[in-house]
Amino acid sequence: MNANRRKQVNPVHLTSLARCLLVAVFLGAAGLFYVYMKNQHFALAEEIRQVERKIAGVKAQNETLLARVTELSSRRVLQQRIAEGFIAMRPIQDNVIARLSAPAAAQADGVMRTAFVERARP
Amino acid sequence: MRWTARTRTGFACGAVALIFTVYSARLVHLQVAKHDEYARLAAEKHTMRQVIHARRGLIFDRNGELLASNLPVRTVVADGSHIKDPDALARLAAPLLDMTEAEFREKISCGRKYIVLRREVPEDTAVALGQALQKASLRGIYFEQDAVRIYPNGQMLGHVLGFLDSESSGIQGVELTMEKYLRGRDGFRFIERDRTGREIMLYRGQEEPADHGLNVRLTIDMGLQAILEEELDVAFHDLKPEMAVAILANPKTGEILAMANRPCFDPNRPGDAKPEQMKNRAIIDMVEPGSTFKIVVASGALNEGTVKEKTGIFCENGSFAYGGKILRDHHGYGTMTVHDILVKSSNIGSAKMALMMGDTKFYEYVRRFGFGERSGIELPGEIPGLVHPPHRWDNLTITRMPMGHALAVTPLQITMGMSVIANGGKLMTPQIVRSIEDSDGRVVYDKPPKVSREVIPQKTARFVSNALSGVVGQGGTAQLARVAGFTVAGKTGTAQKVSPTGGYAPGKYVVSFVGYLPEEDPQFVCLVMVDDAKIAGGLNYGGLVAAPIFSRIGERAARHLDLVPALRAEAAPPLAFDTTRRTPEEP
Repeated sequence: MNANRRKQVNPVHLTSLARCLLVAVFLGAAGLFYVYMKNQHFALAEEIRQVERKIAGVKAQNETLLARVTELSSRRVLQQRIAEGFIAMRPIQDNVIARLSAPAAAQADGVMRTAFVERARP
Repeated sequence: MRWTARTRTGFACGAVALIFTVYSARLVHLQVAKHDEYARLAAEKHTMRQVIHARRGLIFDRNGELLASNLPVRTVVADGSHIKDPDALARLAAPLLDMTEAEFREKISCGRKYIVLRREVPEDTAVALGQALQKASLRGIYFEQDAVRIYPNGQMLGHVLGFLDSESSGIQGVELTMEKYLRGRDGFRFIERDRTGREIMLYRGQEEPADHGLNVRLTIDMGLQAILEEELDVAFHDLKPEMAVAILANPKTGEILAMANRPCFDPNRPGDAKPEQMKNRAIIDMVEPGSTFKIVVASGALNEGTVKEKTGIFCENGSFAYGGKILRDHHGYGTMTVHDILVKSSNIGSAKMALMMGDTKFYEYVRRFGFGERSGIELPGEIPGLVHPPHRWDNLTITRMPMGHALAVTPLQITMGMSVIANGGKLMTPQIVRSIEDSDGRVVYDKPPKVSREVIPQKTARFVSNALSGVVGQGGTAQLARVAGFTVAGKTGTAQKVSPTGGYAPGKYVVSFVGYLPEEDPQFVCLVMVDDAKIAGGLNYGGLVAAPIFSRIGERAARHLDLVPALRAEAAPPLAFDTTRRTPEEP
């Protein structure tokens, strides 16, 4: 190679090359990150959908069980159980009812007149 | 112009620029001017409005006992365009949907995008079917959320609660009158689906949550309702009447504590019931009230000063000729006071009081007691009854109406009429709805008791009440209405049944007893009415048929309400016929 040809060789501008590569890498990474994020979005959305379905299912199951409990504890069913002898209940006889006298009413100051309160009164 | 290279280049550039300008203008037109229109069209292609169903409000009794609730179910639908293997799908799904494979295949054979396979499928069946489909990797069957209304107490209180139609709208009872509170408002959300029909969550759009229905709390006490229903059942079984009605109300507030009719129906299966079973006869049946109506003429005559407490009225020894007809009493009575006329239930004494008052004044009191007008209770189909004004009366009406003939009233009107006496002369508006609450139990609307009008002064009401306690006492017509430990006041009624073909049906009677206790401080008013009891003719009286039922209801209701007995218990008088009472098992 002669001297003239050597003079014509274009130098490699490392700085520019590095800058270009950096921009390309950045753009590539940004693109990949965007795709990754979008994928994450979809995955999370799908997860939310599944959880929502599960919640709806559990709620429905809960309401079904509540309805069953309501039915089993309804007056109609309880009376039927009593009639069938599953629950033993007897009417309370009048002679075994003890009625206590009505409690002393609170007076104007709103304090209930009890032995304890009266004792503590100055 | 010379067609040089420069000119040609300029021309070509201009043409290209023009083409791009036109395209750009069109682009701007589409993107800016037509943006909304095309965005809407695109959205219509992908998005759909998903309804979020509002939950119907619950119904409770006054103590929070659940009377109507919702059971989640699913509607199973098929999308014909998604079904690839109909035979496999039929083999898997048909048994779970309670269908034959042939039925299933026939349903899906049309290939439509929306085929309802079965409604009201239980939640657990739907879950099992969904899992089986997923496991077998079959597509084409989908589930829609739905709910059915359930009434845990079955027939009990069926007439008051009512039921829903197939669109989940109330069509009878409280379900109908409280529809706007119970129903709620459906919400919505805009969603997008992928080609398999699954929602793409990322593109979920505008959302408005459902506004769930409000809960309704009734004035009904299910403890008292159960007592009423049980006693009516026994009476209906033993006496085999055409119908029986019982109402229990609080005279001071107008609250209906219990209301029962026989025959009745199960609101869980309204389709199985005949129309006669569905009638709430307490408010939509008209009957002649009979002697229970005598309280109106007695109150009116006393209040107007037509008669005094001690005024003696000659009862013609049991036979009174008026208007060309003879009016009779069961026994021949001489001169009696108002008190005795009520105790002995004298038709002639009542007729004479009305004659002394005059038709206009008497009619005024009939209306003041609430007869001939709707009471305003929150139940559908209430009728006003039939009370003709004096200008349409014939010669006999003035003597027949005081004893509860020549007019028609509802059982509820009789109950509220007696409540006037029990409540010191004030007529309350009957109410069956106590409050409306949100799902957290916060009261949204509290309905206070409402006084319709003061019919008579307290003094007159006290006098009539005292006379009515004599009806249940020694020598009265309703000794069998006694309740051990309490002073009962009330009035019997025995009216011949009006025939649908005109006149009266021979040998058929509507008998009733309406009373309250304790007389000194009434806690409840109770009406028992029995239409055409199958019992010996000589025994078909209010005092013999309806009064014992009242007595049993009164005794159990007093125990339920924990009323303290004020009297020493007396031995019950002997019964005129074999009582329908079932004796409780001795310990």
